[in-house]
Amino acid sequence: MSLRLLLVDDDVLVRSGLRVILESEPDLTVVGDAGTGREALDVAAQTDPDVVLMDVRMPDMDGIAATRELVARDPQRPRVLVLTTFEDDDYLFRSLQAGASGFALKRSDPDELVDAIRVVARGTSLVLPDLTRRLIAAHAPSRARGPAALPTLTGREADVLRLVAGGLSNAEIATELFLSRETVKTHVSSVLLKLGARDRTQAVIAAYESGFMNA
Amino acid sequence: MTRSLARGRTPADHPAAPTSVPRAGEIDSARQGDPSGPPVGQDRPVPPTTSRIPGSAAEIAARLRALLVAARPGWPGRALYALASLPFGALYLALFAGLVGSVVALIYGVGVLLVLLVLATTRGFAGLERRMARELLGVDIPAGERVRDQHGAVRKLRRLVWAADTWRALGWLGARVLLGIATLATLLFGGFVFAYLGWGADWNALTALPLLALMVAVVGVTLAVLDGLVRLSGSVAPRLLGTAPEQRIAALQQSTRRLADRNRLARDLHDTIGHALTASLLQASAARRTLTPAGDRPLQPDFAHQALGHIETNTRTALAELDRVLSVLRAEDGGRDPAPFAAPSLADLEELLSGLRDGGLPVALVVDGDVDDVPAGVQELAYRVVQEGTTNVLRHAGTPLTVAQVARSGATLVVRVCNERASQLDSRPGPGGGRGLAGLRERATAAGGTLSAEPTPSGGFELCVTLPLAGAA
Repeated sequence: MSLRLLLVDDDVLVRSGLRVILESEPDLTVVGDAGTGREALDVAAQTDPDVVLMDVRMPDMDGIAATRELVARDPQRPRVLVLTTFEDDDYLFRSLQAGASGFALKRSDPDELVDAIRVVARGTSLVLPDLTRRLIAAHAPSRARGPAALPTLTGREADVLRLVAGGLSNAEIATELFLSRETVKTHVSSVLLKLGARDRTQAVIAAYESGFMNA
Repeated sequence: MTRSLARGRTPADHPAAPTSVPRAGEIDSARQGDPSGPPVGQDRPVPPTTSRIPGSAAEIAARLRALLVAARPGWPGRALYALASLPFGALYLALFAGLVGSVVALIYGVGVLLVLLVLATTRGFAGLERRMARELLGVDIPAGERVRDQHGAVRKLRRLVWAADTWRALGWLGARVLLGIATLATLLFGGFVFAYLGWGADWNALTALPLLALMVAVVGVTLAVLDGLVRLSGSVAPRLLGTAPEQRIAALQQSTRRLADRNRLARDLHDTIGHALTASLLQASAARRTLTPAGDRPLQPDFAHQALGHIETNTRTALAELDRVLSVLRAEDGGRDPAPFAAPSLADLEELLSGLRDGGLPVALVVDGDVDDVPAGVQELAYRVVQEGTTNVLRHAGTPLTVAQVARSGATLVVRVCNERASQLDSRPGPGGGRGLAGLRERATAAGGTLSAEPTPSGGFELCVTLPLAGAA
């Protein structure tokens, strides 16, 4: 099954380049593109993409606001992968906070970019786990209230959340905790449900912001 | 990086350093190797004799000194300062006499050089006074502006005569003269009373004790007054020898401006070079794929051809921007004020557009009215409008016929970039155009102007910025 992608960037050269690069992958289809955040909302409503590749700085509604709006419409679809020129911490964290599932650099190798898109679509691990975790840890305004701030997690679920926040994928967590992948998947789903998080990235933000990671 | 550089340089710059400065470990081991050494906490080794005979006179003296130091920290420095105020007071008195003399000579028209000499000497002594106050009194006084750091004889002279520093320094030297007189008077009076009590009074069994007490009191009061005088100078010194408020404000303004320049530079770098390189990279990456397509994808030589054209234009723009940024940085390194180098002006427009023409954009420049005396800030903004407008044409519309117009009518400057119907690709004009437009709009509004960017009825696009000239900096 092919992944449906929406490209959002105010530079037509970036869009046309990305389109050619991504369409050369057999399992990716670019279903639309947009030059501003507002246009992206319209095109997303028409084309129902799986993943939106979102630029951050754009005229007429930037990527952060557009992401927030997309998530408010439907927390499950589409997922947003933020594309950035530079690792500008502040913008990146704000877009994750707004609901983006991950970010990738525009300059990254095309294979890495394609990989990031697939990871975001699957949702079984973080994109750029180390970078993402460091970013969240550095920016999340930790209220340091300890696990109490989170809804009651079972011991296993807390273990799983800690490893998710550590950037481990489901498969790695399974190895670490001597569980089957199916069990890990169940635990992760239940953690996401309890935290009201739409994906792992949001769960990691919640874990840091609640002070769970400091406990 | 800075650390490794510094580490790498140390041996060359300070060849003696590693051998002459004992390391912490060496001091520790030396202390540990001498069990009869000084008590813990004392960092200066005491001669071994002292420690062998506890309670000796030397140890008592040391303890007494420690006690004194604890009670009045830095008293030796202050005592030295008080004593120094005698000869220095005399010296400065002579300097003032010289000043008065040379001013009188000025009336007869020959004293100019003399006055300058006296002022230069004053500034020189102010430096010495700063050091004395710092080292003897422990007062924190920043180094003043140095006349010899100024470039050019005229500037040197102007700073020497007009700078507030000179006159404040003169004021301080005057204060030192008064301090010297006060110190001398205190010493003479104290000494006289002491001598009178010791040798002039009638000493017998009854009066001996009160007289002795009085003598001690006289010494105490004299020392206290001297100490008070020194403390007074210590508290006045920073005001007259320190940085003048106007200098502080100027320094603050300069550093603020520098920071703003840097931020602007960073933003420009991000918006222009970073962006151009990213677009080029993606175009190159895509072009390669269209020339060696995977699986059943078609070969697209047209796309590759077009992509190469974009890469060419983008790279050229990026290099021009890099050139500009580097010239700004070099100007800053040279210690010159970067502002005049940083800001491009209307005169640079022709060069900008000729670069774009090389890149295939048919663009004409029309300048109406006299724009030579347009303020630099407005000129730079106008340049940015043309730069952003034409770059956006390339980005969004390809290479249609384009006109950049700068027109002055009275107190208004109108800058317009207008292109005909798009020649290729994505012809959506985009409500805001490039990312730079938002920034431009901010700057135009801040300057009291307006910005409009909209499609024209004929299918082209027009960016128009109106800037007021009156009241602009």
